[in-house]
Amino acid sequence: MGAYLVRRFLYAILTFFGITVATFTLIHSVPGDPISFYIGNANRATIPKATLEAIRHEYHLDEPLPAQYLYWLRGAVTFDFGRSVLDRRPVTERILEKLPNTFQLNAIAFALAALLGIPIGLWSATRSGRPAERASAVFFFLLYSLPSFWVALLLMQLFAVKLGILPLFGMTSDNYLDLSTAEQLADRLRHLVLPVLTLMYAQLAIFVRFSKSALTEVIRQDFITTARAKGAREVKVLWHHALRNALIPLITLLGLTIPYLISGSVIVEQIFQWDGAGLLYYDAILSRDYPTVMALTVVTALFTLFASVVADVLYAFADPRVRLGEAAQ
Amino acid sequence: MRTAIIIAVKRLCVALVLLFLACKPERPAVETAADDTPRDGGTLIRRLDADIATLNPVTVSSRYDSYIANYLFTPMVYIGRDMDAVPGLAKSWDISKDGKIYRFELDEKATFSDGTPVTANDVLFTMRKIIDPKSEALQIANGFELLDLANTKVIDAHTIEIAFREPLAGQLVRFNDVSVVPEHVYSKGDFRNDYNLTAVGNGPYKLVRREAGKQIVLERRADYWREKPHIQTIIFKIINDHNTAWNALKTGEIDETLLASDTWWRERNNRRLNEYIDFLRFYKGNYNYVGWNEHHPLFGDKRVRRALAMCIPTEAVIQDLYHGTARAMSGPFTPDEWAYNPDVPVIRYDPEGAKTLLASLGWADKDGDGVLEKGNQKFTFDLISLGGSSTGKQIVQMIQAEMKKVGIQVELLILDGATAIQRVFHGNYDAAYLAWDLDPDPDPYSLFHSSQNPPKGQNYIFYNNPEADRLIMEARRELDQSKRKDLYWRLHQVLAEDQPYAWVVQASAKWGINKRVRGVETSPGMGLLLWYPGELGWWLASAPQH
Repeated sequence: MGAYLVRRFLYAILTFFGITVATFTLIHSVPGDPISFYIGNANRATIPKATLEAIRHEYHLDEPLPAQYLYWLRGAVTFDFGRSVLDRRPVTERILEKLPNTFQLNAIAFALAALLGIPIGLWSATRSGRPAERASAVFFFLLYSLPSFWVALLLMQLFAVKLGILPLFGMTSDNYLDLSTAEQLADRLRHLVLPVLTLMYAQLAIFVRFSKSALTEVIRQDFITTARAKGAREVKVLWHHALRNALIPLITLLGLTIPYLISGSVIVEQIFQWDGAGLLYYDAILSRDYPTVMALTVVTALFTLFASVVADVLYAFADPRVRLGEAAQ
Repeated sequence: MRTAIIIAVKRLCVALVLLFLACKPERPAVETAADDTPRDGGTLIRRLDADIATLNPVTVSSRYDSYIANYLFTPMVYIGRDMDAVPGLAKSWDISKDGKIYRFELDEKATFSDGTPVTANDVLFTMRKIIDPKSEALQIANGFELLDLANTKVIDAHTIEIAFREPLAGQLVRFNDVSVVPEHVYSKGDFRNDYNLTAVGNGPYKLVRREAGKQIVLERRADYWREKPHIQTIIFKIINDHNTAWNALKTGEIDETLLASDTWWRERNNRRLNEYIDFLRFYKGNYNYVGWNEHHPLFGDKRVRRALAMCIPTEAVIQDLYHGTARAMSGPFTPDEWAYNPDVPVIRYDPEGAKTLLASLGWADKDGDGVLEKGNQKFTFDLISLGGSSTGKQIVQMIQAEMKKVGIQVELLILDGATAIQRVFHGNYDAAYLAWDLDPDPDPYSLFHSSQNPPKGQNYIFYNNPEADRLIMEARRELDQSKRKDLYWRLHQVLAEDQPYAWVVQASAKWGINKRVRGVETSPGMGLLLWYPGELGWWLASAPQH
């Protein structure tokens, strides 16, 4: 187990460097740079050449690409990702400001989707092929295909504009700072409802379909029949015997989903004015804000690698064959 | 046990619902006050399409930065309704005969929000910062490229003479960009990086707080040294999404927002909304055009460019895409500018005429593939346009379809801003559908003068006509307004004849404003904002509902 983890970890470090080099090359090979963004933004005004030279020099854009990468790496190992091209604030500060918001939104949506989706999947698996299950399959498939910007607008129209019971946008009310702690919590929750719903429904459908197919496979196997035959209650058969054996695909799903917890959703964040990392990423790419793009990539890459390591470790825990296979080597 | 859980869950649900209902926001009351005397106080809630990059008025880089700066600072001169310079921080000025020395008398009552007086030394400090490349004053440095710092001198505490190496007719209105910062504050630390989140200004409002990504709150200064504006508190809420902003205007959470053309068209006659929302439409200085790269073998001949302009269905664009809320352009000036020559005709949509004209130049479809050719060359080119605007996309598609009928094959390249600018500024393109926002002064030097090819200026079409060059330079130096007008009227004719651009339309801006906001006026040329009094003349007819 120990050797397995060490090897896994070394791979992760190599992959991480690969990702930074690839991202660096990619973002620099996209036509346009911060300079062309500034020129586009200034629209009519001509920017004096000396000013452009000053910017070029400040961001090391006047040096060859490998040198630029080394500059970046030198900063990155000390967690100094430079200043944003857009607002000149340290990139780390900008990211730390927005990451928790995205994390909060996505973690809640993810947890709710899992909490609702897995039991529904379980239920569907036991009723596989019956009309109610067929109907629910169609329903969740439709749910999955609904475009989220459209759903978001409908939710907004109904709950915020027509009924006026939920806030239209933002993360907190104007008077947030004057509220008591309990009221602040309630205020935050009210602001969370619509964005969480928008983020959740597609994930919910994924969880239902995923856990259903994983379980269906398991349920057909002989040991389930045995468990039923020995008189175990159906709930116990499903939770204890079936679900445990269906964990592997669910862990894979978990590993794939964790990175989204921080990279965020541009659409939901934009529509609900949720001040998160998704919008930051999007704006940074459009404005060729290299320092921000690179820093966010690093954070996302770390999270992705972390998630895949976690998933691998969980595999080992969930499936004795993974552990024993390692030990045998 | 199980029932207990169910009951607990039910109770929780009820509690949550009650909590939501308890927090239900007040709906905006429909305002019926008929009293038209301005009153003081209230909280105006404005929308910002994107968070600001800086509060430093020297390094402003977007119009959103300018929106805030306009409240925090009183510029050297304001731009009046008719795009002329009117007193701001400078109560009067005197321009030397040779047009090189500007002597400004500052308002001696002027103070910064920290209580210190605004002096001529602060003006000098600000001028230095504007032209220092290290400040990266992206938007405004260019207006002061001719500044002669050696001969600029402080006369006394409230008088300064600002010198220029050459006279420039449009220089005075450019002082609208000069928002003076206090030297005793802004000289400390790193000018470029340390003053983006704070501001000590000389304007009618001061910064209360900025919550990044959420809002910016401004409060009227009790000690403002000029006539105070009416509104007590200004909140800028950041809402990126147009639909969300439109919904927020409907629920009364914001008082004003730019509207998309189709929203404006769809909702402006909605009776219920008209009870509390004014739908405004106005022109300001901007236009959309197709720029032809004259280094491209197809576009060097002005007769070809004219034929191409004849293929653009301007009327259909105006009626079908803008619902009549745009107007045709005949040249580089808009009808609201004094430089506009009303005698220059708009090029009419005439595909048959274009065909005839091209045929007379030797273009014919000899091989019958539907595309014109001349010798070995096919009449085909790439047209760059920006993604993001659906109207823009529809316009280039219409142009493509119309040109196809004439036998011209257009490939559309829809790019993001930075990519498009990169290609266009390196001359790596055939033609581009883009737009300009115009300065208050009509001088088109950086767009059409032959010395202004990139990276120096924005003549990226490589237009070069000695007569246009001469007219542009003379008009830049001509201090006699009526002579200057004659020069621009002639330039208008020359450019319309040469067609360096195919001017497509000037689209009007559409705005929705809550009726509780009064005193709203538009300036021909400047539009709704950033002129004087503009938004500083607004007042609120009812108490804030928030």
